[in-house]
Amino acid sequence: MAHHLEASRNSCALHGALQLFEAIDGVVPVIHSTSGCGVQHYLGVTRLSGGNDTFGSPPVSSSNIKQKHVVFGGGSRLREQLKNTVKVVQGDLYAIVTGCSTEMVGDDIPAMAKEGRDQEWPVIYTNTPGFGGDVHHGYHLAVKALIEQLPDIVKSQEKIPSGLINIWGIIPNQDPFWRGNLQEVGRLLEGIGLVPNLLLGSGQNVASWQRVPGALLNLVISPWGEFPARLLEERYATPSITFEGVPVGTAASILLRRLTEQLELDPIRTEAFITREELRLNQQFARLVDTYYRAGFQREFALVGESAQVIGIGEFLVKSFGLLPRTLVITDNPSESIREALDSRLTTILPGYHTDVLFSEDKSEIADVVRAGEPGIILGSSLEHCLALELGVPFLALSFPLFDRIVLERAYAGYRGAAVLLEDLGSAMIAGSKYINEAS
Amino acid sequence: MSPLRAKAPRSREKRLDTLGAWFGPVSIASKEFASDEIAQRIRTFAQSSNDDLLYALRILSGIRNSVTIIHGPRGCAAAGLYHTATGSNTRWVVTNLDERDTIMGADGKLRKSILALYYRYHPSVVFIVGNPVIAINNDDIQSVVEELHEELELPIVPVYVTGFSSQNAVSGYDTALHSLLKYLSGNNASTKKNETINLLSVAEHPLDRKEALNLLALIGLELNIIPDDSTIELFRSAVAAKASIPLCPDASEYLGLILQEKYGVPLIKVSRPVGVKGTGRWLKSIAAFLGKESVTEELHTRKAAETARQLGDFSLKGIKVYISLSSANAFSVLELVEELGGEVNGLTITHLDRLHIPYLDELTTRSPSLQIHVSDGQAFEEVSILRKLSPDLYLGDSTHLGQVARLGIPVISLESFALVGYSGVVRLVRCIKTALANGSYELSLAKVSSPYHEAWFRRSHNWHIKREVK
Repeated sequence: MAHHLEASRNSCALHGALQLFEAIDGVVPVIHSTSGCGVQHYLGVTRLSGGNDTFGSPPVSSSNIKQKHVVFGGGSRLREQLKNTVKVVQGDLYAIVTGCSTEMVGDDIPAMAKEGRDQEWPVIYTNTPGFGGDVHHGYHLAVKALIEQLPDIVKSQEKIPSGLINIWGIIPNQDPFWRGNLQEVGRLLEGIGLVPNLLLGSGQNVASWQRVPGALLNLVISPWGEFPARLLEERYATPSITFEGVPVGTAASILLRRLTEQLELDPIRTEAFITREELRLNQQFARLVDTYYRAGFQREFALVGESAQVIGIGEFLVKSFGLLPRTLVITDNPSESIREALDSRLTTILPGYHTDVLFSEDKSEIADVVRAGEPGIILGSSLEHCLALELGVPFLALSFPLFDRIVLERAYAGYRGAAVLLEDLGSAMIAGSKYINEAS
Repeated sequence: MSPLRAKAPRSREKRLDTLGAWFGPVSIASKEFASDEIAQRIRTFAQSSNDDLLYALRILSGIRNSVTIIHGPRGCAAAGLYHTATGSNTRWVVTNLDERDTIMGADGKLRKSILALYYRYHPSVVFIVGNPVIAINNDDIQSVVEELHEELELPIVPVYVTGFSSQNAVSGYDTALHSLLKYLSGNNASTKKNETINLLSVAEHPLDRKEALNLLALIGLELNIIPDDSTIELFRSAVAAKASIPLCPDASEYLGLILQEKYGVPLIKVSRPVGVKGTGRWLKSIAAFLGKESVTEELHTRKAAETARQLGDFSLKGIKVYISLSSANAFSVLELVEELGGEVNGLTITHLDRLHIPYLDELTTRSPSLQIHVSDGQAFEEVSILRKLSPDLYLGDSTHLGQVARLGIPVISLESFALVGYSGVVRLVRCIKTALANGSYELSLAKVSSPYHEAWFRRSHNWHIKREVK
């Protein structure tokens, strides 16, 4: 039985599906639920991720069911809404998503989607009641709907480029840096001669998703990417590589070497790329050395975020930047088996040093553990900001919800992202130290 | 029978014939509301809009030292996260109902949550908020509330919003306020009146409350402000107040009504204190009730002159303004725009009902062809209207300002804007000057394509609004 949650940052399955669909150009979600579900998504997700306003409004189509639909069923209302959505809203693909109310009433969503397809409208559907799970579950459901239903709807004649790699596991908004991170991972792949299929963000559209079955490999960069990779392995026998976190800094080198080995790419080309990128990053490290020591950057930190962020950013800060991982909090509810693996990987992240690892999405539980660790800096969501003020330590907002900064293209992934992270982290420490000096 | 006996009040459409969808000239609206029977409208294409749950949360976010438990699936608390971000008095908790709970019921889970939160935070009140899942399952909140209320000697207030039983989100204010009065204000009218006046402030900007408070202090009033930023004690003292005056006659209508009907606290009916004239009218109506006309007249004359001096030679002459706001606010801002010399060329309001008849009648005598669009969140209709009217300035508080700005129209967001009183006028004018001085951002936005088909814009604006067939 699930526990109650204070200020949960993982919203619900419907909202997760909406986040995915809104991140694909030309996909129009059609919400079949009560009128407030889309507004909850806009207020509680879109507005809290610093610059992700796809439509300039909440999702643009919603059946807004009322009492009579709850009593007599809402199927006919959905039929009418779908028909008119196709007429009013431009789109290449219409994706029906449902809420708790219509699922409890038992509306036959597959039948409604089929009716639409019989009219030759490009319609897919997924049942996404909020009682079924959180945003991550919603991401799974939406990806599954696209993988399973898209091939039957729009036939692709397009030639698949060779060396195409699908990237899985970055959830729009749940990783506030999703756009930039995907682009940087794409740049890394291009650097060793591969063709990235980013699937989400500007310029990524239904055609991108049509190329999914033809990919050479599925690259998984968070626990949430394992499910689509498995699905594609079953359907198309596509192999996959799992890299549990967003690769930050030299972790990118490890990823690129693994890809080179598994796909039998030219190792000389790969090493040349890695050397160039690492040289550049090392120069960045060297540039801030004076400030690093003078302002006392080396200290214990607490990091609160999704597992892919905590692994990627945490390991970078520990293994390349000399910081001490006091408390690591993973907020995205990974499954029991992944939890165990993460726990043993992260508690020993710095040999000989004790790191507290907590799995929680409850604001007060997180605050208790972070506070007890007495960190010298907090990296987390904007919800942790007041905790940093309370402890009088510097703060960097980098996980969802992110309501005190704007993120459009910024990335913390890869070599370039690592340098950006150092800029942001360093700026926070300098501002923090000044603040503390003035206060004392 | 006490009006607070029921679990929840009747919806606004049942009490006041409230419409959530309508389009046409103000003269026709006035005529329609002169008749006894008003046909409900529905939409055959719709976009997300607020519901009673969201409006109830707005109220609860203002109650100090409280815990709000949304007894439902996790997504129903998403807006709570937003309130946390923007400054909220309450702590937001969701019981996180899963599929099994929706079948087996979850009162055990609710009980456990209340107990855990009580022992952790010792709040002075706990709110339990309904939602579609609880409403459809008819989960038994009431017995948990009664049991734990006795056991913990703690006020536990159930708020029976559903997300679907009213067409109009504003009903959610009523449902929340119904419960607040029912559980916090006691059963009877107070025998001993105190000297305070209730300022009814429902989901208002903190600076608006401050402005009202400062003005009323100047005429020597002591205020009891509910429900924004209030405590449960203030709900107790509210029933002993001399009178109530609303900051918005729409949002606090039910609160004022029940305080008057059940507790005998007279309600002063007046439109919002927005604009110089509107603020003067608001002050004078309370002054008349208390017999403080002369001091108020003097205050208004002084403040009006001061405001005029601050505005200098500013004028909106020749500027066409479109207004899209919650209803009573929209009518007040219309008056303000006209006061500043501008012309309002269209109006979108969240709902229209019998409370608005005076505005409709008055406008009919002056500008009978003024278009009124009734909609909450229906951006596709508004964009269609705006393309036709092409106003020079848009004043709105909706969640779809982004679509409006993409039309290249300068936009001012009034969602979180202190508009009340004389200082509100000065603040708005400053904002208008800024918006009209440089429209380059809107021009950049205009290069992003609209989500809608061109074919939609060739339809009539009210193509998808139909009379409801019962």
